[in-house]
Amino acid sequence: MISTLLLAVSIFASSAFADVVVIVSAKSTITHLTTEQTAKIFLGKASSFPDDRDAVPFDQAVGSAIRDEFYTKVAHKSSPQVSAYWAKVIFTGDGRPPEILESNAAVRKAVANNTHAIGYIEKSAVDKSVRVVLDP
Amino acid sequence: MAIKEFFIVLLGAAACIANAEAADADLPKFTFDGFGSLGASHSSMKSGDYVLDSSIPKGSALSEEWSFGNDTRIAVHLAADLTSKVSAVLQVVSEYHTPNTYEPEVEWANVKYAFTPDAYIRIGRIALPTFLNSDNRDVGYTYVWVHPPLELYRQLPISHSDGVDAMYRFQIGNAVNTVKAILYGENTLERENSTSTSKDMWGIFDTTEYGSTTAHIGYQERLAASENNQTGITGPWIRNSDLSVGVQYDPGDWFAISEWIQRKSTTKITAMYISGGYRVNKFTPYMTYSQNSAGSFLPGFPPPSANSIRLANRSQSAVSLGVRWDFMKNTDFKFQYDLVKLSDSSNGFLANVPAGVTLYGAKFHVVTAVVDFIF
Repeated sequence: MISTLLLAVSIFASSAFADVVVIVSAKSTITHLTTEQTAKIFLGKASSFPDDRDAVPFDQAVGSAIRDEFYTKVAHKSSPQVSAYWAKVIFTGDGRPPEILESNAAVRKAVANNTHAIGYIEKSAVDKSVRVVLDP
Repeated sequence: MAIKEFFIVLLGAAACIANAEAADADLPKFTFDGFGSLGASHSSMKSGDYVLDSSIPKGSALSEEWSFGNDTRIAVHLAADLTSKVSAVLQVVSEYHTPNTYEPEVEWANVKYAFTPDAYIRIGRIALPTFLNSDNRDVGYTYVWVHPPLELYRQLPISHSDGVDAMYRFQIGNAVNTVKAILYGENTLERENSTSTSKDMWGIFDTTEYGSTTAHIGYQERLAASENNQTGITGPWIRNSDLSVGVQYDPGDWFAISEWIQRKSTTKITAMYISGGYRVNKFTPYMTYSQNSAGSFLPGFPPPSANSIRLANRSQSAVSLGVRWDFMKNTDFKFQYDLVKLSDSSNGFLANVPAGVTLYGAKFHVVTAVVDFIF
């Protein structure tokens, strides 16, 4: 009974979460980022990569499973917490959230074409045009 | 400066800077956002009104059983990216204020020149970053409480200054440090019986974020004078200085936050609160204790009037229990219960208490329900 329950829980856990990875262009010099460095770039607290080159983050749609997983794992924030965070930044005139692209393919394409770009997509959507720099 | 003149100056400045720079293909870009709250509160204290600050003329429960005045507002926020370095914001808020109106007011209106993404200078009407939540205190959706703790946040009724500020942000190892400075500012605040003017404002504010911890320290000074609206007599210019400290720890599943301020004018006052909560799915139950000291008169000023002594004596504490429920996208519902205790020598911050009525040491209950939204 208990093992059935555990199995059910683990299946639920793996299906509820997509497997998110953080990517940069294959042409970028960045090879690895920490969760803290990634969170700072996506929350607008850092405007550049650790090597001082400008960073341009691309977000995914509000309410999408991939976005929720990314912010839960990388910034320890739920979807409402991320919205509340950006409301604070926007309404104090301190910044704007990253541009939103509507699919893994769109993020991958935007990141592949720009050595300053950083995004997050499903692990299964990774191809040779991008490099995984964090698997949180 | 009248608001109209203010805008002419602002638009002129924006146009000049914008013209001087090469145009970007996607610019100018305009964005429109807004926020609001609908909140009702009820107090068990029938001898006075429970109001958040002195700009709110009446509340529950002397003037009315239930009051919308403390926690109801709507605001629009217009942002314009004119070039890659020049941007402007305009934020207009409609909320209940003196004399008995929801007439919209310009909360921010400024032009920013960003030297880099981590350094800017702004001119215009600007948020004052005195407390951790002072520049977003109107945006209920950004914090857990129905409103920031009254005993601390009403110590600084000024939320903006007309002037110039600058920001510089840098990384130290894994920490992000942000320094903001008010280089010059002025402010006019209309109350029911008086108009308070501040000038020669300056301040420096430092915020460090490291992991889940945010630490904030600020110091600001201004010259303030109060004009009596009936007699038209303006009091002397008094130097006000405020030292504020705040710490927040928020690893995600729970949070703790505490802030403290010491105000000096003709009196010295301290105020603080400590609050914590736990996040369970869409619910965040929380608890807060907040209090302020009575003002002690500082040497070097003429003997205070009876009214000054009464105002300086105002002191109270509150224990609050509440819950925030993120029940739908960009919208929350909050319910809060406060047990307020007035000091043994004052009527606290109750408004409109009839002359001669003393409620010293009284305890009363306040319940508040709010829906906050952003759009």
